Amino acid sequence: MVLQILVTIGVILFVLPNLYSSFKKKVLTPLALTIWVLCWIAGLILIWFPHLIDLIGLSFGVGRSIDAFVYVAIVYLIYASFVQKLKMNEISKDITTLNRKIALKDINSKDEKDV
Amino acid sequence: MNNKNIYIVLPAYCEGKVIKEVIRSIQNEGYNNIIVVDDGSVDNTYDESISAGAIALKHTINRGKGAATQTGLDAAKLLNADIAVTLDSDGQHNPKDIVKLVTPIAEGKADVVLGSRMLGEKGMPKSRILMNKIGNWVTYLFFGVLVTDSQSGFRAYSKKALESVYTSMDRYEFESEMLGQIKDAKLKIKEVPIKVIYTDYSLNKYKHHEGFSAQGLFNGIKMVIRLIENTLIK
Repeated sequence: MVLQILVTIGVILFVLPNLYSSFKKKVLTPLALTIWVLCWIAGLILIWFPHLIDLIGLSFGVGRSIDAFVYVAIVYLIYASFVQKLKMNEISKDITTLNRKIALKDINSKDEKDV
Repeated sequence: MNNKNIYIVLPAYCEGKVIKEVIRSIQNEGYNNIIVVDDGSVDNTYDESISAGAIALKHTINRGKGAATQTGLDAAKLLNADIAVTLDSDGQHNPKDIVKLVTPIAEGKADVVLGSRMLGEKGMPKSRILMNKIGNWVTYLFFGVLVTDSQSGFRAYSKKALESVYTSMDRYEFESEMLGQIKDAKLKIKEVPIKVIYTDYSLNKYKHHEGFSAQGLFNGIKMVIRLIENTLIK
């Protein structure tokens, strides 16, 4: 019960205002804001009424559906982390390339003039 | 030997206090084509380099020694260099050693010459020797090249080598990656002994890296992690 209350307070005091602030800064689109808010509300509902997960599990034919939920969440987090790493790597390389092009601009233009 | 088409590349980050002196000491050895790549410094490195007569290039954002070195090598290529020599910009490399690196390339005996602190160098701390050896074995493990000083930034590249190597690694691990590319391109490597000048400035700057310190170990681990990442994610 204490954990459920703490998580709920955390979501209401920190997560939702943070989402709204991101929306105001135009980091999130209205659609993204709606999806994130719905996800967090769904999470809160599942925390307060965990037997609902069993209903979902039953529809997929899994006995202890909380286990399946945790496994899927772990796989998703690993995948999301990997995708982010790839993206960050790509952005980092792009920044270096751009930096280099700007740095070499003068030499390139001098080279073209010489030709 | 004609020094006209020899370009010296100095990757520099916040070296405003010493860069002018380093450039002058290189010019005194007869090398006037000096490219300084200011890697997003927040001091006067760029202005000092220009006032000392170097070709100064600026990275708007700090990207690391590997990125700055590659920019310098690209510049040398664009300027039609026959040989490009990379040195550290804090004055720890002796410009009098440049000739030792350049001669084997000019004589056609090598495509890449590595300045090695481990060849005939006496007085190097044992902890430093151990760190260097670990670096060498890591390089061998990842790239299959075993040299005596894989992390030395004092290197010379022939025109052919400049066309063959291109590091995608921005930080210190680029030295190892380049050795792998040199091997893949079947370039001839030669190692020559160099002296390292330990000034108060360079000792203070690298005080965390000199011994087998927690910081040095941490940087080594970070380097290995980045090498693994680079092996997995191109």
